Amino acid sequence: MLEGSIKVTNPLGLHARAAAQLVKLANTFSSKITVKRPDTNVEADANSILGLLALAASTGTTLHLRVEGEDEQQAFDAVESIFKMGFGEI
Amino acid sequence: MKKVGGVIVSHGQVANELLAAAETVVGDLSHITAVSIGWHDDVEIAKEEIARAIKHVSQGIGVLLMTDMFGGTPTNISAMFLKENEVEIVTGVNLPMVIKLASHSAETTLSELAKDVEEQGKQAIYRTGALLEPQKIKKDA
Repeated sequence: MLEGSIKVTNPLGLHARAAAQLVKLANTFSSKITVKRPDTNVEADANSILGLLALAASTGTTLHLRVEGEDEQQAFDAVESIFKMGFGEI
Repeated sequence: MKKVGGVIVSHGQVANELLAAAETVVGDLSHITAVSIGWHDDVEIAKEEIARAIKHVSQGIGVLLMTDMFGGTPTNISAMFLKENEVEIVTGVNLPMVIKLASHSAETTLSELAKDVEEQGKQAIYRTGALLEPQKIKKDA
């Protein structure tokens, strides 16, 4: 299992289309990917758009990423990278 | 993979626009369609349109009708199509409900999905100010 912090960097925050991108990415891996917002304790499965939206993660929010499964390293790197790139918005 | 079909039924253009918004978020949704009932449309014509839409999206494992408002004409006409394991109706459609239907997994049956969509629709309503209140208190403390 891999864990780490990621930051929402895109100006619009984790909005609907960004969440959809993350879901699409998460579905390409077999690992279970969970995103948690530590300050509210809300947790979401990265393959649920509506779950991710419920995090209400605006720009600047730090989230906790947990990845568990066979391809966890690739999955972790890919998710970290899409957040760093601001979902193609910056 | 077979999917439960979906038909959004509303007054005016709400259904079309909801579908368009959902497609912007999750991509093409070939198993969901929209029927917008004009304010002055004849009931028989509207009924035929819904029947056509159901046939169009059906993949043989059921169709979920999502209507705008319980008690309204779109719901009342849709109710004529209710049939166990074939057609279910959930009222009060909102965007999260359409997204839920769009992204359901293969194993879900029509009745399970109808319950999930109903639940999701209710859960996705927030009084956003209420979410911020506990944080305000924390800051003051």
